[in-house]
Amino acid sequence: MTWKAKLGSQIPAELGKEIDVFETQMELRKLGKIDEKLFAETRLRRGAYGQRYDNAQRFDGFKTQRLTYPHAGLTKGPDTAWDAPGMQRIKIPFGGVSPEQLEVLADIAEEYADGILHITTRQDFQLHFVHIEDTPASMRRLAAVGITTREACGNSVRNVTACPIAGVCRTEAFDVTPYAKALAGFLLGHPDTQDFGRKFKIAFSGCECEACGLVYMHDMGALAQVRNGQRGFKLFVGGGLGAVPYQAKVFAEFVPVEELFPVAQAMARVFARLGEKQNRARARIKFLIDKLGVEEFQRLVAAERKILATDARWTAYLPGAAAYQENPLKPGRQLTGKPTDGLAAWLETNVYRQRQTGYAAVTIACPIGDITAQQARQLADLARKYCGGHVRTTVEQNLVFRWVSEADLPELYRGLQAIGLNEYGAGTILDVTACPGTDTCKLGIASSRGLARELRARLAGKFFTLDAAVKGLRIKMSGCFNSCGQHHIADIGFYGNTRTIGNRKVPHFQVLLGGRWRNNAGSYGLAIGSVPAKNVPAVVERITERYVRDRQGTEEFQDFIARIGKAESRRMIEDLMPVPAYEKDPDFYRDWGDPREFSLGDMGMGECAGEVVSALQFELAAAERLNFEAQLAHEAGDFAKADELAYGSMLQAARGLVHEQWQDVPADPATVVREFRTRFSAASLFSGPLAAYLFQRHDQPPVAPTREAAHRLIEEAQLFIEGAHTCGDKLRQQLAAPLKK
Amino acid sequence: MEPYKFGIRFQITNAATQPLTDFIAVFHGWIQRQALAGHLLVDVHDYSHVPNGPGILLVAHEANLNIGETPRSLIYIRKQPTPLTETFAAAQAAAKLLTTEHGVQFQFSQFEVFANDRLLAPNTAAGAAQWQALVAQSTGGQVVQQSNDPRERLTFVVTRQP
Repeated sequence: MTWKAKLGSQIPAELGKEIDVFETQMELRKLGKIDEKLFAETRLRRGAYGQRYDNAQRFDGFKTQRLTYPHAGLTKGPDTAWDAPGMQRIKIPFGGVSPEQLEVLADIAEEYADGILHITTRQDFQLHFVHIEDTPASMRRLAAVGITTREACGNSVRNVTACPIAGVCRTEAFDVTPYAKALAGFLLGHPDTQDFGRKFKIAFSGCECEACGLVYMHDMGALAQVRNGQRGFKLFVGGGLGAVPYQAKVFAEFVPVEELFPVAQAMARVFARLGEKQNRARARIKFLIDKLGVEEFQRLVAAERKILATDARWTAYLPGAAAYQENPLKPGRQLTGKPTDGLAAWLETNVYRQRQTGYAAVTIACPIGDITAQQARQLADLARKYCGGHVRTTVEQNLVFRWVSEADLPELYRGLQAIGLNEYGAGTILDVTACPGTDTCKLGIASSRGLARELRARLAGKFFTLDAAVKGLRIKMSGCFNSCGQHHIADIGFYGNTRTIGNRKVPHFQVLLGGRWRNNAGSYGLAIGSVPAKNVPAVVERITERYVRDRQGTEEFQDFIARIGKAESRRMIEDLMPVPAYEKDPDFYRDWGDPREFSLGDMGMGECAGEVVSALQFELAAAERLNFEAQLAHEAGDFAKADELAYGSMLQAARGLVHEQWQDVPADPATVVREFRTRFSAASLFSGPLAAYLFQRHDQPPVAPTREAAHRLIEEAQLFIEGAHTCGDKLRQQLAAPLKK
Repeated sequence: MEPYKFGIRFQITNAATQPLTDFIAVFHGWIQRQALAGHLLVDVHDYSHVPNGPGILLVAHEANLNIGETPRSLIYIRKQPTPLTETFAAAQAAAKLLTTEHGVQFQFSQFEVFANDRLLAPNTAAGAAQWQALVAQSTGGQVVQQSNDPRERLTFVVTRQP
């Protein structure tokens, strides 16, 4: 019995086929028939990500150990052991997750990971310590409840995020949910999004003043607007955090909803065509826009938009989107009675009164984004009972129950208390956000989660005594400068770095002050200095005390920092920067939550950028997979199928070559063969005898292929694919030649 | 005997007030020595901030081991299909190492065995009937199904003479 057999038709056909293909690619990799770089990008595009120590070595505090896994020598990417535990990222478009989905997520967390569901800063779920052999089964179980992991990582359109209170927000222009959902579906696997040099992140927000959508820090941000009664979006492009943060620029003040998809598609085509492909550090669209200027980018996108063939999907979803609404489970009734102490604090920080009278959106604070599988199942029960299953993940690593009748809040609180998830302080200084850092990330320098745990514990102990202005501050941290913890948009942000003292490394965190979470990530904080990791709690205390003491009236933290200036901000923490000698305090030479002496030796190559794999390489890999399947069919005695698959593999390879010259080449065999003949065979770019294999099979398909004929065609197809590789190399050399001059 | 993915939970009878985080150093020490025979010990993960969570996790290629709460226990979960007798022996070996080196005491007269595979071992009456004998035979105890919630893993409470 397998999950594939058990779930059968519950798995949507298209998703099922994709997972079958991935499973075959895994087999091909094990047979050495797929290059490791290509396989790395393939698995990344299925959300199967690398994890710390997957290069099969780890510093144990005294020495670097070689981890000898059973499949020694087999890799799933460059310097990445096949058996090493990895991370599975699971896309949750707009953060919408149903109770049924939560239950399946819980099951796979328990059976294939470590029993924890981790919510990311982009509304995904992540599972850690997953073996790659378990990924197809987990993908099938997710697919059966409508979740795909496709393009969760790699150089692709990542999870499309949206405000978690869209539709119930008091200040939004309209509910962006159906637009975010539809755009995510439209761009998923779209041919125009398959050849990016880096990832592409999209966010939706319903209003300008709040933070929820964070549109200013995305590759493409869509801010809901209504003009003359018509829905549309103010579109932003070229934002992003990372090592070098960029504020997005306005692409268009108003794009009507009818134009949202074609404009996004046109942007994707321009990015795929002109974006940097070799220098990974400058391959995000923000660099392209910086290079071209936003006006030129607008012009290019407009020109691209004009030549797009009309797609019915651009507008087919609009009637449904306009009518979209969630149905509450119960009538909204107001809360009466005096709440108890714990409930009162929770009501104050975790409950948002919805636009709809008598309803509340409840934030369930998940410590550093973690919930157990058991809690996920219990949350599914609570969601069914209190909010009709309307649950969202948030970019602050929490969950939101929407449409809770206010009268049910005390009961829901008790339900959450029973499962250990009634923590107050959501969206406050207590609700620290952190990326995985050195816990699991290959790029992590310092332990962001270790620090987050420490800060949460210390702040929780004195939360009720904190000044109200301090309670409202946000702390975010990343394990390195890449900003997955979104440290740039925190009031107080940190990112991990290191300093050498004597001959030892000491974990440090750079301090950034004055980022603005509100106004859709309205401004970024400025670095004021690096402090030893063990002094960060003192830094937080110092800064917050100074703010309480010296702020003027109701002065906000950003204004306070701007007023006192960078030099004074630095002076505030300067005495916390020195590191005592190792002999005096060796604790400084260890990171939070890790007794090993600190080392950078465990850092590896990150996979955030994916591998540079061209669209042609993907097409040729697909051709090889088809050829492999032809061999399996032949072995099983199905010669007709073997013949068809072998022919298909040649078509796939030919189409890949044509695609290099004609982006919109259709898939029908007649067109592919005609174009291949004209562009490659007749132009002597492709070996004549090899091209003849395709032409012959295309022109004279066999009525009933024999064993021998099918076998011969498989061999010919393999040679044809080899020819396509050679031809692809020639094309690349031709492209590179002018650059060498 | 067919191999399957099972887990074992041994309740800790002392050290209930000891900070969970004390086990971080213990597990790092195990990795330094590769102290658990038949296991490639890989990493330690701190989940002490998660209420009722896995606590402190030791990741091996063959299994996940964690010191978790409610009640405080050592939980050993095999990752690849393995005969239950081997899984049981490995869990006992880990527990004994904690006892010998750190004085952690366990209740071996009653413990849990669970199947970490809802496909082959669903938590149903039929699932329990199918697996009960194997669990009893492999652990040498009397076996009772813990609950019949089909969402949960098939779990048996095993009682045996110490």
